[in-house]
Amino acid sequence: MSVGAHPAEPGASARRDAALVLKQTRYGLVKTTRNPRVLVFSIFFPILLLVLFNSIFTSGGDATTKFAGGRIDTDAYFTAGILAYAIMMSSFSTLAIGLTTRRESGELKRMRGTPMPAWTFITAEVARVVVQIALMALVMMLIGHFAFGVDLPGDSAVGFVVYVALGTAAMATLGIAITAFLASADAASTVAPFTAVILSFVSGVFIPVETLPNWLEEVGRVFPLYHLAEGLQTTLVSGRSGTGLDGGNVAVLAVWGLAGLLVAARRFRWEPLGRD
Amino acid sequence: MAETAISVSGLRKSYGDHEAVHGIDFEVEGGEVFGYLGTNGAGKTTTIEILEGYRERTSGEVSVLGVDPARPTRSWRARIGLVLQESEPDPLLTVRETLDLYASFFPRPRPVDDTVDLVGLGEKRDARVGTLSGGQRRRVDVGVALIGDPDLVFLDEPTTGFDPAARREAWNMIEGLKRLGKTIFLTTHYMEEAQHLSDRVAILRAGRIVALGRPEELGVGGGGTVVRFRIPSGVPPDDVRAHVDGAELEASGNEVSFRTGNPQRALYQLTSWAERSGVELAALDVRRPSLEDVFLELTREDGAS
Repeated sequence: MSVGAHPAEPGASARRDAALVLKQTRYGLVKTTRNPRVLVFSIFFPILLLVLFNSIFTSGGDATTKFAGGRIDTDAYFTAGILAYAIMMSSFSTLAIGLTTRRESGELKRMRGTPMPAWTFITAEVARVVVQIALMALVMMLIGHFAFGVDLPGDSAVGFVVYVALGTAAMATLGIAITAFLASADAASTVAPFTAVILSFVSGVFIPVETLPNWLEEVGRVFPLYHLAEGLQTTLVSGRSGTGLDGGNVAVLAVWGLAGLLVAARRFRWEPLGRD
Repeated sequence: MAETAISVSGLRKSYGDHEAVHGIDFEVEGGEVFGYLGTNGAGKTTTIEILEGYRERTSGEVSVLGVDPARPTRSWRARIGLVLQESEPDPLLTVRETLDLYASFFPRPRPVDDTVDLVGLGEKRDARVGTLSGGQRRRVDVGVALIGDPDLVFLDEPTTGFDPAARREAWNMIEGLKRLGKTIFLTTHYMEEAQHLSDRVAILRAGRIVALGRPEELGVGGGGTVVRFRIPSGVPPDDVRAHVDGAELEASGNEVSFRTGNPQRALYQLTSWAERSGVELAALDVRRPSLEDVFLELTREDGAS
């Protein structure tokens, strides 16, 4: 029996790999619907926060808040901010915890020992997150619109979609990258959600940036969540024209995303850390 | 058909200053069950992970199905099935879904339902893996190893944690694989299992192979019969020695044992002396040396070096 028994059919093999990505994405979504931790922390909890914040802090829809993008209705501000938080939980946190858990159980090592190309696995992980976040963004915007009167983005819809996509990509690569520094699933389950919650306080998610002391806002400005929140908030300023895209926000998200990608590509491990 | 499945020569592996494997040579023929045995730390896992393509070797030649596992290719992976020592399938998928997912990784997979039945999980096909017992989860693992219809299967301690009934079932399954013509590389801590399943075994001690061959070549079931018993205190072992022809007694306290090439005669002499003298031989046990006896002798810490 010869080893290289496959006839050279590049088209067929590309189709097979695409099918492989789809299959893994589908099972990834199936697992999401069966995972209580993901359902509670990445889906139920952000929606609860959205309802709570908009019910408590917006004074019946009259309040506004000021930020880099101008003056914005407070309910729109919180809706965009909590969406940014949901994106971070669903991509950064879910990937960091999910991958370390599966690395610890030996599942990743086992998959590495099959002919499945590594890139199809990573692509499927990210694709699953993208589907999850697209649905979350839709649900949260509909709740914001119908329950709290948040205006859906008009001209700035393009900017809104770009920020959701870019934010998801950056947070996903960072979630994969951070697994290189997390020794165990326990560590990941603590560090990842904790990071998201702490950053939320200094990124205009839980508290409007105008009420933050300057130095704290400067701290928040270093991290991608701040720029994702600010970007989304800008696209939700009612009646604004243009895409709402801001070079600074886009650039910071892109830099973090590329850094994550670089670290993930070089440092990702399929076997539990502390071996070899 | 007896193509060489695995060939290893002069294999060495060091971790820093520590050399875990000190020059190992062996070959595994296509279609055989090869038992790779050793105490913890003897270098079993290091060797198997080098063969599986997970670990780089320090030196030596290794070929697995004609490919150097240090440079694994996709088509090579497609011909190999793995049951890893520590690997849990995803608890959130069902048995069927797990095998369906892994089947998609391989160019010519076995039918999923067929494989579920082969590993004896037909009743549990729609149960989530997380709800299964440890033994059943291990069988999912074996199913995953077989789903690609591999030519060579690595089973790294496949029955650890099984109850005796589950272990017997696993043995039947492994014998079934052998009948399908698969080559099987098996590691286990259960010598009864290795003896039952293996065509040949290698016994590893401190990074070296100290015995290699068919179990009977290593003295299993041969080399004399071992007779063991306990004598009452006050009866010196020399009394036994005087009454059994040419027996080399080993005595520690009341425990006495000897090997004999003529068990019928030795037992006649032993028991007639005991009857005449009114000595009770407690816990009298007569048996052929098992792989476990051979293994313990070869891997004894106070042995060579």
